[in-house]
Amino acid sequence: MDKLYSLSATSMKELLDKKEVSSVEITKSVIDRIEKTDKEINAYISYNFENALKQAETVDEKRAKGETVGVLAGIPVAVKDNICVKNLKVTCASKMLENFVAPYNATVVEKLYANDAIIIGKTTMDEFAMGSSGENSALAIAKNPWDTQRVPGGSSSGSAATVAASQVPFALGSDTGGSIRQPSALTGLVGMKPTYGAVSRYGLVAFASSLDQIGPMARTVDDTAMLFGAICGKDNKDATSKNYTFEGYTDSVKGMRIGVPKEYYGEGVNPIVKEKVYAALETLKAQGAEIVDITLPSTDYALSAYYIIACAEAASNLGRYDGVKCGYSGNRTAGLDEMYESTRSEGFGDEVKRRIMLGTYVLSSGYYDAYYKRAKVLQQSIAKEFEDAFKLCDVILTPTSPTTSFKFGEKSSNPVEMYAGDICTVTVNIAGLPGINVPCGFDSNNLPIGFQIIGKKFRESDILTVAKCYENTVGGFAVKEF
Amino acid sequence: MEINIKHIAKLAKLSIPEDKISKFETEMEDIIKMVENLPEITSESALVDVNNTMELREDVVIPSSPRDEMIMNAPQTAAGCILIPKVVE
Amino acid sequence: MINNNYEIVVGLEVHAELSTKTKIFCGCKNEFGAEVNTNVCPVCMGLPGTLPVLNKQVVEYAIKMGHALNCNINRVTKQDRKNYFYPDLPKAYQISQFDIPLCEKGYLDILVGEDIRRIGVTRIHIEEDTGKLIHADEFGGTLADYNRCGVPLIEIVSEPDIRSAEEAKAYLETIRTILLYLGISDAKMQEGSIRCDVNVSVRKKGQTEFNTRVEMKNVNSFSAVYNAINYEAERQIEEIEKGNEISQETRRWDDALGKNFILRSKEDAQDYRYFPDPDLLTFVVPQEKVDELKAQQPELPVQKIFRYINDFGLSRTDAETIALSKDKAKFFDECMALKKCDAKLLSNWVLGEITRIANERRCEIADLTLSVENLVEMISLIENKTISNAAAKTVFEVIVDKDEKPTDIVKEKGLAQISDTSALQTIVDTVLANNEKAIADYKSGKTNVLGFLVGQCMKQSKGQGNPAMFKEMVIAGIENS
Repeated sequence: MDKLYSLSATSMKELLDKKEVSSVEITKSVIDRIEKTDKEINAYISYNFENALKQAETVDEKRAKGETVGVLAGIPVAVKDNICVKNLKVTCASKMLENFVAPYNATVVEKLYANDAIIIGKTTMDEFAMGSSGENSALAIAKNPWDTQRVPGGSSSGSAATVAASQVPFALGSDTGGSIRQPSALTGLVGMKPTYGAVSRYGLVAFASSLDQIGPMARTVDDTAMLFGAICGKDNKDATSKNYTFEGYTDSVKGMRIGVPKEYYGEGVNPIVKEKVYAALETLKAQGAEIVDITLPSTDYALSAYYIIACAEAASNLGRYDGVKCGYSGNRTAGLDEMYESTRSEGFGDEVKRRIMLGTYVLSSGYYDAYYKRAKVLQQSIAKEFEDAFKLCDVILTPTSPTTSFKFGEKSSNPVEMYAGDICTVTVNIAGLPGINVPCGFDSNNLPIGFQIIGKKFRESDILTVAKCYENTVGGFAVKEF
Repeated sequence: MEINIKHIAKLAKLSIPEDKISKFETEMEDIIKMVENLPEITSESALVDVNNTMELREDVVIPSSPRDEMIMNAPQTAAGCILIPKVVE
Repeated sequence: MINNNYEIVVGLEVHAELSTKTKIFCGCKNEFGAEVNTNVCPVCMGLPGTLPVLNKQVVEYAIKMGHALNCNINRVTKQDRKNYFYPDLPKAYQISQFDIPLCEKGYLDILVGEDIRRIGVTRIHIEEDTGKLIHADEFGGTLADYNRCGVPLIEIVSEPDIRSAEEAKAYLETIRTILLYLGISDAKMQEGSIRCDVNVSVRKKGQTEFNTRVEMKNVNSFSAVYNAINYEAERQIEEIEKGNEISQETRRWDDALGKNFILRSKEDAQDYRYFPDPDLLTFVVPQEKVDELKAQQPELPVQKIFRYINDFGLSRTDAETIALSKDKAKFFDECMALKKCDAKLLSNWVLGEITRIANERRCEIADLTLSVENLVEMISLIENKTISNAAAKTVFEVIVDKDEKPTDIVKEKGLAQISDTSALQTIVDTVLANNEKAIADYKSGKTNVLGFLVGQCMKQSKGQGNPAMFKEMVIAGIENS
């Protein structure tokens, strides 16, 4: 069968279940596709082809023997390179961890294995998940398959690029302030950041612990939900994870109230993006949804609160890269402080250093109350506003990214401008809510545009339902021929 | 707003080369300007949240990891330990 | 000697390792003395991607200590990160508690000389221990062993209410005994399971405000606490007398040299950038649990001392020696519970022979075969004069290792005291007949030969005679002769 690699996970599953293809055939097709296209796309930091083929053989044997197999049995999946897979490198796209081999599996990886998924490789990203373009990778800079002169977004740049280029049907990303949703928007994918606590963070190399979540990225809503269903649930190794059963979803928005917060449709959002998002709202309205105007006034402060909290946590989380137990080590001949400083100065890139500095500053003596504490209080008021808004509506619909994909180098010189691009997504992390990007057309350069659906806590069912309804109504999402 | 880059860098164990200090300073100041527009707060109890609590673990032993795996990523090891430059205290 | 015009002001920060089965944030064994880096996992090694999960037992042990030190328990609390770089701290932050300690605002009564002193307890919080650094020139550096990393600690911070090195020592000893009584720590100073930082300042007598204090680290034995405080107080007094200011600094105590050295000055004071650990959410201890832990609290040493003195008439020293040892006190209380023997006689045996044997064998009293019932029976035999002290020693040597009834031993070995006057009289008569010189000496006023004569009688009776009766009969015999 031709182009097995280009199938959705759901189609692969059907064929596998009917024994029309084997997992080895699919895996070989995917490997071949990656080998042919990844020089151009550059989505991976490391490949796991040999193990993947072995795994595929094992799954095929299991199937042949009539043993029960997991829901992802035999389907290839890519994993962002900040998630630990035992015996594979986990670099976080940093010189600091370039040679770090994970000695344990992340809980999500245990779940992938338990569900017989095939781990095909580790995808590139912005260093330590800090960035919105993929340009902050110290090891591999992924390109946007829709226009390889442009960024795929970030920080899950490699996961977005590999799925958008039909190298694999789906991938795991991580999202701290939009790192799944924004690259999904910029590459025309469905990508979901689950509710904080819905998916275990154990084995996800931390950026900002109170905001990080692992989530799925795929070309269809069903694939997104399939991967999410396999990885969610309470984990005793993560004290912040919660008991949760994913209830599934439908394709009908009849009677559903969709909130539209005016704060998310301001001047900063590109007119073409606004136009397409409004059009999507109309589509959903035609399917029986009710559109409700709501207001989320603290949105203005969300970006500030986000950067304070995220950087404070990051500064502390990244203290452990000190040249002692793992990773890059600088000059070890001139005493302890010299080892620390050279290790960290040479091992981290500029954006990481910038955020560590900011985080250190806002926590330092005399500034804690003014910054960190204030940000935490604002976080509560933002969460409260969402709670109130959800009394008026079931889901909230906004643009995902204020712009479409931009050219390499276009924004990277100005951190504040880059940070402003996160305005639509960070509030969702700040409030711990689930959010999903859904593709809704293209700009004049044929670059993808996406809208974001935000749900109540642990109501992934709702946002997937809206996404599914939209997908069906528009007859599916465009895939880049590449 | 004045930020003592050198002091912050020292706390964070980063050495910022002299020629990059002013760039860092400007960028940091821009970012601080961005985050400074936070409204004043009145609430004091933001740091514990009784509506979002965690469960504690039972005191039950889980086998430890093989030592080799735990120290294999260290830049230097000796005698089953991680070796670091001489620490004087 | 401390200059009489000055008063010492001391506050102690005591770190005690808790004797839970596992570490505070992972399931690795909490055990002393294992081979290097064998009780470790990705969590306590602080490897990227790992997360802490708090051990319930740690919280309960800390609350027990909180109750014992009369603290308020903060049922709703959290854990905070204390950020600093050091190779024994693999995450570059220690998970501790900052503004909401689990227990706070308590006190501890201690006995110093004839006084009872009440020392305020500011707070008790839970935190993780660090790894161990081993200086190894043969490898050209320092070795890091992370077995201890993540071992649960409580930090008990006192108010600056301690006024002398003696008080500091008594405070620390009482804390140690309480930890043992509660069964929440091995409290072995030599293994480092209790460690102490000491804050010292001095002020002129009568002065009400405190002067600048100096923190001393690495003060790790009772004697070191005593010596370090006196050393530092003298150093400060000397400086003040010279007209110098005391600067707020951290100094390191070197016990071998008996001196301290500056570690860092105020200007180098660390900025720990505390903030709530985002990996650990707020935790709430139910009120019922707090009450339940309070109800489980055993009688504590100071209460015991007073009971021994008031109810049993023990001397202050004996009461203290027994009560400050959980092992001795447990045995003593069990014996007394049988209500069959005299407390003073019992305390003599517990502090004498029994302690001697336990020390000799380097074991606890509880480890001896010696049973409470047999000991009490033996002591009753002494009390009702069935056996002499000398015979009792023979009985004791048996019951310390064998579960035999003392009455049976006495019968079997013929150890019962002879109280039959006629039998004793025969022995006295024989002894007097054979010691005419001694009788003459006695009559000429050398009454100390009496002891010799009684001893001879005891010898003749093979130790079974009642020495008091012998004494009376010898005196009577001489006077009648």
